[in-house]
Amino acid sequence: MLKYTIKRLLMLIPVLLGVSFFVFMVMHLFNADPAALMLGQHATQAQIEALRQQLGLNDPIFVQFGRFLWQLLHGDLGRSLMTRGSVTEELLARFPATIELALFSLFIATVVGVTAGVVSAVKRYSIFDYVSMVGALLGVSMPIFWLGLILIIVFAVNLHWLPVAGRIAIGMEPTAITNLYLLDSLLTGNWEAFWSALQHLILPGIALAAYSMAIIARMTRSTMLEVIKQDYIRTARAKGLDEKTVINHHALKNALIPVVTVIGLQLGLLLSGAVLTETVFSWPGIGNYTVNAIMASDFPVVQGSVILVAAVFVVVNLLVDLLYAYIDPRIHYQ
Amino acid sequence: MRKLLLLVMVMLLVVSACGLGFAASQKILVYAKGADPRGLDPAYVDDGESGKIIVNIYDNLVRYKPGGTDIQPCLATSWTQSPDGLVWTFKLRKGVKFHDGTPFNAAAVKFNVDRQLPPNATDDMPYASFTFEPVKKVDVIDNYTVRFTLKHPYAPFLANLAMCMAAPIVSPTAVKKYGADYNQHPVGTGAFKFEKWDKDQQIVLSRNANYWGKKPFADKVIFKTTKENSVRASEMITGAIDMMDGVDPNDVKKLESSGVKVLKKPGMNINYMGFLTHKKPFNDVRVRRAISMAINRAELVKYLYQGYAEVANGPLPSFIPGYDPKLKPLGYNPTEAKKLLAEAGYKDFSFTFITYSNPRPYNPVNGVKLAEAVQAELLKIGVKTNIKVYPWTEYKPVLFKGEEGDAFFYGWIGDNGDADNFLSLLDSSQIETTLNSAKYKNPKVDELLRKGTLVSNEKERVKIYQDLQKILVEEAPWVFISHATDLYAYRPNVKGFNPHPTGVTWLEGTTK
Repeated sequence: MLKYTIKRLLMLIPVLLGVSFFVFMVMHLFNADPAALMLGQHATQAQIEALRQQLGLNDPIFVQFGRFLWQLLHGDLGRSLMTRGSVTEELLARFPATIELALFSLFIATVVGVTAGVVSAVKRYSIFDYVSMVGALLGVSMPIFWLGLILIIVFAVNLHWLPVAGRIAIGMEPTAITNLYLLDSLLTGNWEAFWSALQHLILPGIALAAYSMAIIARMTRSTMLEVIKQDYIRTARAKGLDEKTVINHHALKNALIPVVTVIGLQLGLLLSGAVLTETVFSWPGIGNYTVNAIMASDFPVVQGSVILVAAVFVVVNLLVDLLYAYIDPRIHYQ
Repeated sequence: MRKLLLLVMVMLLVVSACGLGFAASQKILVYAKGADPRGLDPAYVDDGESGKIIVNIYDNLVRYKPGGTDIQPCLATSWTQSPDGLVWTFKLRKGVKFHDGTPFNAAAVKFNVDRQLPPNATDDMPYASFTFEPVKKVDVIDNYTVRFTLKHPYAPFLANLAMCMAAPIVSPTAVKKYGADYNQHPVGTGAFKFEKWDKDQQIVLSRNANYWGKKPFADKVIFKTTKENSVRASEMITGAIDMMDGVDPNDVKKLESSGVKVLKKPGMNINYMGFLTHKKPFNDVRVRRAISMAINRAELVKYLYQGYAEVANGPLPSFIPGYDPKLKPLGYNPTEAKKLLAEAGYKDFSFTFITYSNPRPYNPVNGVKLAEAVQAELLKIGVKTNIKVYPWTEYKPVLFKGEEGDAFFYGWIGDNGDADNFLSLLDSSQIETTLNSAKYKNPKVDELLRKGTLVSNEKERVKIYQDLQKILVEEAPWVFISHATDLYAYRPNVKGFNPHPTGVTWLEGTTK
């Protein structure tokens, strides 16, 4: 198991190299000139040229890529062209917000999705089944951006139940430990902050979770339907076990393997889906930050954030694979 | 499982403590805007978002008067200019301290300018050369007197010193202490002290109790970042914020009907269509005039900008000294336009516009919509046009080359509130520097521009610029389309919220 984990982690290196190369090339293929953008409307061609020279933008693209890799090897993602801040620091400052939102959405998506899927499968062709599957269809097809705005208008502006945007009420930030506000406020026992952070998470959480929730519900329903037909379920029932035990212990655990894969994939999707949600809800995470950086041709920032997300994606996939072994004892890794 | 849950609940209850939010007695102003600043070191930024925060942390030697771009004393209490216009001597305010406790004095002023002059200036200082280009050297005369020697007389010099870029005075000690990270740790002498910056979330400033000027009302000012205009407006309606800028015209009615006040301020900008005057067909003034007359700018402003822009009668916004209220623009006259085109030998002609795909502060719809509206106008007199679109990041390099298309959409955001700042975009010496993207060349214009920067008598300057504007309207190197209005909103209990035409707001006098 350990050997397998190490092997998988080592595979991160070629994956990240490939991703960096791809992002680097895409960013540099466009005609955009960060030097012109950095210097604003007064910039003369001579000044822009001087700055391009200083930033090394006139060097052959492979030299630039080599330099970028060399920095990366030293754990340095460079400095943002626009803010002059260290990209590593800027990303770390924003990453907890993205993680918090993604995990919260994953939690909603999993709890609601799995429950809806199981109930739909058990009570197939019931009203509940129809309603939840229509809901799932809506969830898959609704654009996050639009859903986000609708949620804001209904629950924040009209009903005043929840805040419009942002991560926490102004001035309520809990003492920073992990920078995950929910966790930090729990750890410091700051209830007001916990409540405020939770309120701020609900709307973006739902908007972001909608798609994954729908996928998970449909996946759970179909695998549950298959499992329920199996002989061993009939045997379990024949032994006289009550329906609850049959479903929860015998059917669900076996139906979960494909669902866990889907959930694992969803986390990656949630991290990238956060781009739109973060924009609508002004969520101060890396999605929002990356969008701004793309607009400004801030190469180092875009490269840094894509590499970070790719690394997280790979690690999450590894965790999902390891989780299989826990759910299904027949699976072994060597 | 249940036991675990119970344990967690009990633990939570045991460690429960009161919230750490700001005490209720604190007076907090929340200003929401659309983006984080690039940074808070005035030497390294060029964006309005940075300027809005910078003016509340720093002071300049001089400052704009409220509502206009006339100059008043600030960290300099008085100044004199030598008769040849080359030497400016400033008397400095005594007893002023930076937020880090170090004294403000002549040496600090010298440090601020020197770091933006060669050889210290670096290539990535966007405003250093614009602001301090005329400066030869700065000398400390005594602790509270500083002398600037210029390379050539330059009348807009004072206006440059009032800008929120490059000119605000930073603490030399702090710059040395933080190095490249100073951009995130600003220290000035202004009404508010920098407290913290939660990236893409908020910037918190606190009251400078030792401020030399009018003591600020608010204990804290929070600049909140809310990216989407309509979401920001929703926050305004729910009362989560006190003030905001960048109101979307579509939200004005909604805001007003919920009791929020909306402010419409003329913006310091010009939205224009430039002709590439160095090549056919627009090297012919008749063709330029014809196209200008074929565009109904009043209609454009009404439908495209829903009235939240002023029709431009020339290059200058109305509040800039030198603006000529009597200036008569080339009016809408399609018949005359057709006649002029025929006269110039362009009966059935078509040309290509280049434009940008995104909204700009001077053109809040976007470059494509504007181009399409103009295209429809020109079709009415039988002129066909093609539109070539570029994203903003690619547009400027294309424009600088001047090879694509025959006409282009562009604009200018004023820097220092001086007429020269707008009009010098048509100086032939700026063709090389690419600011004059129309590649317009007129010796008379060049001469008047030169004169304008040399003369320090305000009346004489105004006269020069008025003459200049007349020529520009006649010659039509640009179609002067509009000046976008800046839209702000604030809660009815907020008093003294007075955004300046330069797009920044000093908040020390704002109360609620």
